[in-house]
Amino acid sequence: MTHAEHPQSFISKYIFSQDHKMIGTQYTITGLLMAALGGFLAYVFRYNLAWPGEHIPLFGDLAANQYNTFITCHGMIMVFWVAMPILLGGFGNFLIPVMIGADDMSFPKLNMLSYWTFLLSAIVLVASFFVPGGAFGGAWTMYPPLSASAYSNLHPHFFQALFTGAPMMILAVALEFTAILMGGINYVVTTINKRAPGLTAFRLPLTVWFINIATVIFMFSVGPLVAGAFMLLFDIVIGTGFYDPARGGDPILFQHLFWFFGHPEVYVLLLPSLGVLGEIIPVFARKPLFGYRKIIYLALLSAVLSVVVWAHHQFVAGIDPRMATFFSIGTILISIPFAGIFLSFIATLWGGRIKLTLPMMWALGFIALFLIGGMTGLFLGSNAFDIYAHDTYFVVAHFHYTLFPDIFFGFFAAFTYWFPKFTGRELNKGLGHVHFWLTFIFFNSTFFLLFFNGLGGQHRRINDYSLFSNINIEPYITFEKIATTSAILLILSQSLFLINLFISLRAGKRAERNPWNANTLEWLAPSPPPHGNFEHVPAVYRGAYEYSVPGVESDFIPQYAEQV
Amino acid sequence: MRIFPESVSTYGHGIDQLFWLILIFVGTALVISYFILLYPIIKNHHSKVKRAKYITGEGKGPYSWILLALALLLGSDFVILFAEHHVWEDIENVPEQVDMRCCITGRQWNWIFTYPGPDGKLYTADDITIDETNSELHVPVNKNIVFDLKAKEVLHSFFVVNTRLKQDCIPGRTNTRWFNFTRTGKYDISCAEICGIAHSQMRNFIVVESQEDFDKYINDLYAKHSQTASN
Repeated sequence: MTHAEHPQSFISKYIFSQDHKMIGTQYTITGLLMAALGGFLAYVFRYNLAWPGEHIPLFGDLAANQYNTFITCHGMIMVFWVAMPILLGGFGNFLIPVMIGADDMSFPKLNMLSYWTFLLSAIVLVASFFVPGGAFGGAWTMYPPLSASAYSNLHPHFFQALFTGAPMMILAVALEFTAILMGGINYVVTTINKRAPGLTAFRLPLTVWFINIATVIFMFSVGPLVAGAFMLLFDIVIGTGFYDPARGGDPILFQHLFWFFGHPEVYVLLLPSLGVLGEIIPVFARKPLFGYRKIIYLALLSAVLSVVVWAHHQFVAGIDPRMATFFSIGTILISIPFAGIFLSFIATLWGGRIKLTLPMMWALGFIALFLIGGMTGLFLGSNAFDIYAHDTYFVVAHFHYTLFPDIFFGFFAAFTYWFPKFTGRELNKGLGHVHFWLTFIFFNSTFFLLFFNGLGGQHRRINDYSLFSNINIEPYITFEKIATTSAILLILSQSLFLINLFISLRAGKRAERNPWNANTLEWLAPSPPPHGNFEHVPAVYRGAYEYSVPGVESDFIPQYAEQV
Repeated sequence: MRIFPESVSTYGHGIDQLFWLILIFVGTALVISYFILLYPIIKNHHSKVKRAKYITGEGKGPYSWILLALALLLGSDFVILFAEHHVWEDIENVPEQVDMRCCITGRQWNWIFTYPGPDGKLYTADDITIDETNSELHVPVNKNIVFDLKAKEVLHSFFVVNTRLKQDCIPGRTNTRWFNFTRTGKYDISCAEICGIAHSQMRNFIVVESQEDFDKYINDLYAKHSQTASN
């Protein structure tokens, strides 16, 4: 029985769906809803930073412990419940099967279980806001002893202790990891087993490569953190002393276990979006991806290096100075493969025939912002300067300049590029460009000035600087107000995305199969692809980036075209 | 507008200079990057170009540009690493010449200061400990002050903006650091590692004064202390 003959009820089609596209949709929508929550938390604490102690519209008064909870959950949500579901769950599910010419994932039931486990993790996280004491507020790094002590002392009984902020955060994260692991197994197995005939490893689109590399990095690095998190959970609920120095434990152990995962996680988040850029830039430059194989080798190199950089987060934790030098060198070395990948994308533009379509704008905006984010990392990778800049707003601005383009510009690039394929409709271009420019401008006006607040000495996770007369001064006070106003405008601008989504879904122009004249396999399938994706199993004859080949009249040769 | 707050430690200037050095490299790299990003977007707009060039970058030819850029990046990285190394060593290595020792302990939510007693030795029975919010640590100017950093219950991070020094304080461990103030004055000590509800209120002061003023302060402290002890 082929896929098309499956009887599908409403529930099996939209809710307990095993179709990769529906699961991708579920992941993406859940991720976007969590982004709205994360954005709202950011609005509340940013308002408090600009106008400390004032009544916050739509919220009320923000107490100091709530401030801590909100910054903690903002970080947690944006990394684990927005970036992971959208960039891995969304991209992985939508793109891998259609780009390799498969009808679905290898394990559709596991895929469904992956999403529902993920949803459960989100519910546990949101529920933790309503337990006594509120959600966890000891920063997203969850460093003990703070994370291990504050709650257990209040709740001496196991059951009570379990339903407090920190244990629920740990459980939510553990569930989320389980979900991403189940999804990840599917991405790797599907890529290995279900490729269309002729689709060899070095004919795979970059996106498929990069999602797989990200998944493998995640699998290699997540183990120590899960072990570390469960030791923390035991410290809280059954009174072990893994991180309690009074009983022979050591809080630094957790920092190592956390960052052994925490830093590779940065590359887990970055690679899927870079893969998407690798599709969009060649299509709209009408040129082959510059140095395709070398980009893949560089990404594999970065995967290896990603496990020898973690302690650069601990330069001021009092680690051995000789060890710090080792991690400084590792940090510097890992900048090389990523610089190489970005330079290859830029080189693809040279000699091209460039169309500034909506996806291309998001892709180029991504590069423009990430250049600042990446380069400011050089300041922090230098351990002597990090002694000063660590845990200041310089760090906050730096990682928002990497993660915001990665998550949101990467998502919008992919969304605008594949929207016609997966919905069968075209997006409204004018509205899309206005949305792009407002997002680009307000993002910069939110975060650029914060570099200066950090250099001026403003340390992080402070809800009110009024006690500190040497840093609570102009121009930093004004910068805070500009940043907050811009952040509010940035959030409001996203309504244009929603408006465009709904208008285009209802009244957008019907999309062709291959509106961008692109080469990869998904453009062979109908728009939108039905359950089972392709009418026939496609055969693949060449690599994914054969644009403007000399001697051929057409400026693109799809992978599935037998004759040139 | 000044980028950095006033620097009052011997090594603070080195950290500020390191910033400007890295900024030269980063600024140059950013200008070049934006140029090579924007130039083809403007020059090769589809209205001006009939057909793109077929360049795969698989051979050696054009790819050598990227190798050159990566070599330059790696080179500047190591120049930065070399330049920062002596600054790092200067901060991390405690000098042999010690003019004053003390202990600074983070607790929820203030800094505790411990001075050696009249015997001049730290961690003896006559040590004087001040454990109050808004209290001051008095130190002499132009002297090497070596201090042990500790924490009571949770992680804290000792941060004095004007010295540029930041160092985590970890329960169960002692980190020894130092500074030498070049100017008298009163400076904030803050906590740069989240430590609970009143993390934002964790503020004490360092008062840097001349040797005479400091001697007077410490002798008054000894006198007050022995008085309370005899009572």
